Amino acid sequence: MDVMIHSSTFLLPGNDHSSSVTYALVVLNQRLPRFTPILWNHAQVRVCADGGANRLFDEMPLLFPRDDAIDVRHRYKPDIIKGDMDSIRTEVLDFYTNLGTKVVDESHDQDTTDLRKCVAYVRDLAPNLDKSNLCILVAGALGGRFDHEAGNINVLYRFSTIRIILLSDDCLIYLLPRTHHHEIHIQSSVEGPHCGLIPIGMTSVSTTTTGLQWDLTNTEMRFGDLVSTSNLVQGEKITVQSSSDLLWTISIKKT
Amino acid sequence: MPLLFPRDDAIDVRHRYKPDIIKGDMDSIRTEVLDFYTNLGTKVVDESHDQDTTDLRKCVAYVRDLAPNLDKSNLCILVAGALGGRFDHEAGNINVLYRFSTIRIILLSDDCLIYLLPRTHHHEIHIQSSVEGPHCGLIPIGMTSVSTTTTGLQWDLTNTEMRFGDLVSTSNLVQGEKITVQSSSDLLWTISIKKT
Repeated sequence: MDVMIHSSTFLLPGNDHSSSVTYALVVLNQRLPRFTPILWNHAQVRVCADGGANRLFDEMPLLFPRDDAIDVRHRYKPDIIKGDMDSIRTEVLDFYTNLGTKVVDESHDQDTTDLRKCVAYVRDLAPNLDKSNLCILVAGALGGRFDHEAGNINVLYRFSTIRIILLSDDCLIYLLPRTHHHEIHIQSSVEGPHCGLIPIGMTSVSTTTTGLQWDLTNTEMRFGDLVSTSNLVQGEKITVQSSSDLLWTISIKKT
Repeated sequence: MPLLFPRDDAIDVRHRYKPDIIKGDMDSIRTEVLDFYTNLGTKVVDESHDQDTTDLRKCVAYVRDLAPNLDKSNLCILVAGALGGRFDHEAGNINVLYRFSTIRIILLSDDCLIYLLPRTHHHEIHIQSSVEGPHCGLIPIGMTSVSTTTTGLQWDLTNTEMRFGDLVSTSNLVQGEKITVQSSSDLLWTISIKKT
């Protein structure tokens, strides 16, 4: 079984162009995490899902209180706004359209969520993007309405062969597919120590880990019984191997 | 609590909203808060020796087993502040619903509520439309739900399979005043709470 390596370098300041990972950023309609500018700088394509454009417009200037708001909005202009367009305010749409942002109105498609539309766009259509090592960062994916959150988590399961990271101010989540052994390299300046492994969607008959305070050894996990929450990372590397897809979650440090 | 009553004196509000008990591993409560409520007669149960169970699980077990003078024949535990924040905490809180599946437990945040619909029952959900809805969902968190049938939703299910990786009923809408749900698996019901 192949090893899949994970590292939250997207939370570190600076845009290391020598990295082999191609990042895309999707902004959803929740409060912008305070580290959104760092994600933005790593990303080669930036997509707003419908009301996410309102968040960018309203809240990015708040992260740069000493700068002129219009300047900030010019600097942080999305490449595309996509979705069913039932949340974006008219003046926000006009502002970004005038700056050259592409708008793709998908209001005819009521069967898929805004995030799903954006992930499909990045995977299939985004031009000039090296997708051989793609990682999609999703800001504002957690909190708010729980059905939205569950729908966003379901996107991780539907697109299980694409690296997709759901981010909020407090934590991040991504899928650990059962098809791989996993090595998670902890960036302790920005994440941890609180973590968990969550068997969403089905019982995990057997999971084995190293590097956690409460490691699992061929341990079964399921809702109604053991779910690994309030765990702690010890050191710099976690390994996980499971008979089922698991969600990995780790806290993000307040700085 | 004083912030929710900006015209009232903060100390008055804190006296009016005094908890009966504070329970948990005590690693977060501030000393002055603990002293304030202890002086008002709040009972404090320090469970810091028990690191195997979450604070919510300790509290649910307390209400179920030990709360005095409580008629528990039709008990419903409301949990404020159960969602958002760290996802592992949220997952642990949801797991409490599954572990205590015979007790009504409602997880609440500013935006929505969640509770378990056990597979052992047909369910009727009477919608209080002045305070909740219309956004809702049915979430098969722990396992595939082979068959679910509903009435009263914009997108009803009819012996429909739901599972993560495929169909999960999110961004659904309640139509009217009564929803019915019947499923082969435990499901989470979630509905939005209106801003007023």
